[in-house]
Amino acid sequence: MKSTKSLKINIIWHRRLGLSVFLVLIFLAISGFALNHSPALKLNKIDLSSNWLLSWYGLEKPAINGFNLQGKWLYQDGNSLLYLDQKAVAPCSAPLRSSTTTADTIFALCADALLMLTEKGQLLESFTQLDGLPINAQAITRIEDRLYLLTDSAALEFNSDSLALTPEPNLDLALLAPQSTLAPLPELLEQQLEDSGPSISLETVILDLHSGRFFGQFGVLVIDIVGLLICILSITGLLAWINRLRQIKQ
Amino acid sequence: MRNSLYSTALFVGLLTTTLLASPLVNAKGVFQSGPDFVAEVFAPQQSDSKVLWINDDIRQQAEKILGRPVMGLRVRYHQSAGKTAWILNEIGKEMPITIGVVIDQHSIASVKILAYRESRGGEVRYPAYMAQYQGATLTERYKLDKSIDGITGATLSVWAVNKVTALALYYHSQVNPKAAEPTKQPSK
Repeated sequence: MKSTKSLKINIIWHRRLGLSVFLVLIFLAISGFALNHSPALKLNKIDLSSNWLLSWYGLEKPAINGFNLQGKWLYQDGNSLLYLDQKAVAPCSAPLRSSTTTADTIFALCADALLMLTEKGQLLESFTQLDGLPINAQAITRIEDRLYLLTDSAALEFNSDSLALTPEPNLDLALLAPQSTLAPLPELLEQQLEDSGPSISLETVILDLHSGRFFGQFGVLVIDIVGLLICILSITGLLAWINRLRQIKQ
Repeated sequence: MRNSLYSTALFVGLLTTTLLASPLVNAKGVFQSGPDFVAEVFAPQQSDSKVLWINDDIRQQAEKILGRPVMGLRVRYHQSAGKTAWILNEIGKEMPITIGVVIDQHSIASVKILAYRESRGGEVRYPAYMAQYQGATLTERYKLDKSIDGITGATLSVWAVNKVTALALYYHSQVNPKAAEPTKQPSK
């Protein structure tokens, strides 16, 4: 009699627990499957950039500014591409810090490389930090025929043919102010970049939903509780099965 | 009691070894800068920094070797006598691998991974593996004439190194053309 009562209670709670977690459990199974096969499904290649999602993640579309180089606009799209007017010309890590020109070359100082371009925007060469570009390079400027790379505390003369950097300790840093400064892009170019800017991969969103992090600490706590309930569910299921076997034997 | 102590000591030993070895397994990072690599290659001599301009013919062949478009109108290299050093990038799986290749008299003198950015497959950078490339030359089909062993889990990185070494040999042949082989005189 006692055994029948406990079996009933066990089954009632097993049903309640099952009902309370079944939706989440199905979602966890589907999202887990998707994450396991993420490379095949190319989830990391699908970028989401809707405004509400970006604001949920605390990201904002930055105002895109550029350098006006004698009528041509040099700018970075907020992701990893450098544009000259409407043409993507080279990879460039944000932010685009500085730019200057010589008679036949455009110089663009990105976060991790100094790019040298022809007037038409063809990439000549990139001078990266691995090649010797100082990590703290802030600007590139030109005085007459000479190019100078400005770091936090020093000016270095830059030879664009040999990529050699020579310290210029006697130069007054105040005289080496960059010739061009960032300015808002014309409306036409801004419209072209409507779809660019920060984005979040679908893989990241699914991973965050799967772990509960999408909803912050509260979401993580909920997933933890669901995990605990699934453990209890499996135990109550096992107990129900054992009790039923006992009853059949009796 | 003695067995239990022995087991505990063995477990602690294995755990310590695993923890100490983990940084070695994670081979991601920048290992040498370009200027340091060049200085090491040509020491104690100085090398000249030069550029190879990529014309249409060179670009076409380079793209065939790499299997992807080639960016940039010029490629920098360093030279001293018949020895050249090239620092080239190639994507392994998702991230670029920076590879230094030294060519001496149209064969590879050494290869070194200067920066490895992938999370897995960094075993390619070990000197014992890189030593395989020594002496390799370019075949008429622009492939390495030596068979290079693969590494399980690092196949794409190995392919990247193979492509870059072949490309460096090709670039070297463009700046140091081989002397024309003597043509056989027709027998009278």
